[in-house]
Amino acid sequence: MSDFSRREFLKRSAAAGVASGVALTGFGRNAVASDVAQVGTMIDLTRCDGCKGLDTPACVTACREENKDRFPDPVKDIPDNWPQKKKEDWSGKKDLTNRLTPYNWTFVQNVNVEHGGKRYDLSVPRRCMHCDNPPCANVCPLSANHKMPEGPVVIDSDICLGGAKCRSVCPWGIPARQAGVGLYMKIIPGIAGGGVMYKCDLCYSRVKSGQMPACVEACPRNAIVFGEKEKMRALAYKRAAETNGYIYGDKENGGTSTFYVSPVPFEKIHAELMKQKAAQSHPKTPGFPGMPVDVENFTDTANGIAWSMAIAPVAGIAAAAGAAYKTMKGEKKDD
Amino acid sequence: MTEKIVKNKEKIKRHGLSVLFVHCAVAISTFVLILTGLFGQFPMAGRYMINHLPGLSWLSDFSVTLSVHYWAAAVLILAITYHIVFHGIRRDFDMLPRKGDMKGSVKLIMATFGYGKEPENDKYLPEQRLAYVFIGFSLLILVFTGAVKVLDNLPDINFSRVFMFWISLLHNAGTIMVIIGIVIHLSAFIFKENWPLLPGIFTGKIDLEYAKRRHSIWYNREFVRKS
Repeated sequence: MSDFSRREFLKRSAAAGVASGVALTGFGRNAVASDVAQVGTMIDLTRCDGCKGLDTPACVTACREENKDRFPDPVKDIPDNWPQKKKEDWSGKKDLTNRLTPYNWTFVQNVNVEHGGKRYDLSVPRRCMHCDNPPCANVCPLSANHKMPEGPVVIDSDICLGGAKCRSVCPWGIPARQAGVGLYMKIIPGIAGGGVMYKCDLCYSRVKSGQMPACVEACPRNAIVFGEKEKMRALAYKRAAETNGYIYGDKENGGTSTFYVSPVPFEKIHAELMKQKAAQSHPKTPGFPGMPVDVENFTDTANGIAWSMAIAPVAGIAAAAGAAYKTMKGEKKDD
Repeated sequence: MTEKIVKNKEKIKRHGLSVLFVHCAVAISTFVLILTGLFGQFPMAGRYMINHLPGLSWLSDFSVTLSVHYWAAAVLILAITYHIVFHGIRRDFDMLPRKGDMKGSVKLIMATFGYGKEPENDKYLPEQRLAYVFIGFSLLILVFTGAVKVLDNLPDINFSRVFMFWISLLHNAGTIMVIIGIVIHLSAFIFKENWPLLPGIFTGKIDLEYAKRRHSIWYNREFVRKS
């Protein structure tokens, strides 16, 4: 180290810093922003009556008809999820329309709530909210779930292994799992994987081709309005101002593409839904979401920690440069 | 030189504090990342009831495992950056593979089983240099793909579907590569011949006679010629 000098040290520090920066961050980034205008929906609870007089609300029927070819077709002998002796099999309950299942991607909840001395009968169409920063898509270890540039959050049933983590981190527990179908059945069925997760994709293929989602088109009372997301948000606030109502979906989970407008506070609707859920024969069974107000996004805490990863390389470079300088000076003296 | 003979103790200094720090930080953070990655990011803890084991219930709490995963990743990034910059400045590239390392590793392994004579070694064995580059490469894959995943989790950042599919696939493949690398790395200590190297990674010092015998190239270069 006899040729070591301050200039040489600085030269080497710069080279090593650049090398580590390139190694740790990669060479380039993919496009992060999309020019495609995002779509959304406004659901007006002052208009929706749950299609009284019909056995099944029109939006639910339309959704089932639109997506029937994409519903799961599991094997007959579905293996248990080893080492547990259970699995999620809805194939014997395909006709259920009063909750979310792999065969029913939207449904209508009915509540009777009091507000301002008046009782309201409300019908609440429920399905995926298509969040702005969907934790269900972010945490999927296979990236089988993704928020598309147009806004809908779409699960790729070809690569989903049915771990159901997406459902665990969804504030509403929306995705529904069907066992005995999908990729895991071709790998080591029963030992790893649990099926495929299913949920509303806002009729992504229809949206891509310029059509409206089937539920929107079928609604006889125009209670579900579809369009550019920002227009839907503006419409929701306008409608809430007109009806002295409340909005749900704009702030929840960090923002969503679905804006509900209600004449009663959503805290009351949520409380009533939780009462109904608790009264069910199997209250823990997923597929009957509440409406928790201001619910936080699952990734908020982790995103708050992300800064530490940006600081880490800077700290590493500074500490290493200091240590290298110290040791090399010491060696020079030794020499 | 940083390498010094510790008089009267028949020990020789093989690693300085920087190497000990980096090895310790990388080992611990990688262990935590694998634990929280396999059992937390992949929802295995609940599925295989690992969360029922005493003290491991937190492994099925995704919010906890994700946060711990992030903190451990920060430690790993710090250690890797430190490692690259420290050795880059010092131009200390003893760990990088050299021509003939594959052949040397085979000879060394054969000699371990009593076939042939072990070749003379430098500061590191050829198989150590190969393992280093394999594990290092795997960790860099994980850091790069992990950084992309962290960015994708932030609000207002949404990479394309195909890009994220490949990033996730690479991240998962990198995890498997690291686990394989660690298993191979640790399995070296099945052989008694490698045991004297163990104290070096905790204290920085190894037995003098062992260094003379097994790392003769390094010993002669650093201690005999310069003394």
